[in-house]
Amino acid sequence: MPQAQTQQFGPVDYRDEDAIEFPFGLPAFEEEHRFLAIERPQTKPLVYLQSLGRADLCFIALPLLVVDPTYKLAVSAEDLRILGLTDFLEQGTQPEIGKDLEALAIMSVTNSRPTANLLAPVLVRKSSLVRTGLQAIRGDNRYSHEQSWGGRV
Amino acid sequence: MLVIRRRVGESFRIGEDIEIQILESTGGQVKIGIRAPRDVSVLRTEVWVTANQNKMAASVAVAESLTDTIVRQFFVSTPNSSSSSD
Repeated sequence: MPQAQTQQFGPVDYRDEDAIEFPFGLPAFEEEHRFLAIERPQTKPLVYLQSLGRADLCFIALPLLVVDPTYKLAVSAEDLRILGLTDFLEQGTQPEIGKDLEALAIMSVTNSRPTANLLAPVLVRKSSLVRTGLQAIRGDNRYSHEQSWGGRV
Repeated sequence: MLVIRRRVGESFRIGEDIEIQILESTGGQVKIGIRAPRDVSVLRTEVWVTANQNKMAASVAVAESLTDTIVRQFFVSTPNSSSSSD
């Protein structure tokens, strides 16, 4: 079983099929192509998006729908192609979170308050042999890159 | 912000090396051509914003304070596990 080196948790065992391939990395981290989504029972629903290439690179994320249950995706044609969700291109519809893909919001801190990047959710395609992921940056200005978040679950 | 009015086909320059040309304008969308030296980074603003946001999100200080704050938020609403947040 492969082992991920992480700064936060030390060595973590994972299954190869759980690794998420980011063909283009994430903006500012374009060279990091493989990540692991780590969930721990004591911090659920928090997701640690840990780079498999850099032990010190780990994003803290929340499921997009936990941050905003009414969130409406607007995935570009280019991103749908990368995710291999071309059916939606032909239909002109958007994939469904939870059914077609998983969606995470990367969390940060702005003025000492937690914020979520709703401008650019991380999308991971479900039900494929290789788990493909990308950060889907919206072209509209419907959502903020630093949406303050203080909700309870 | 400096505002310049240009027609399709017209262009303007920023400094000595950068030229911006308006190539096409249809239905509220504008196609723009940029000629700039290789070392000048040209990014759509939302990509630039996300890159900066990612850099900040990945910093150790943010990670530590986030885990604390978010975990505490969740534990506030789940009394059974509230003791493990401190």
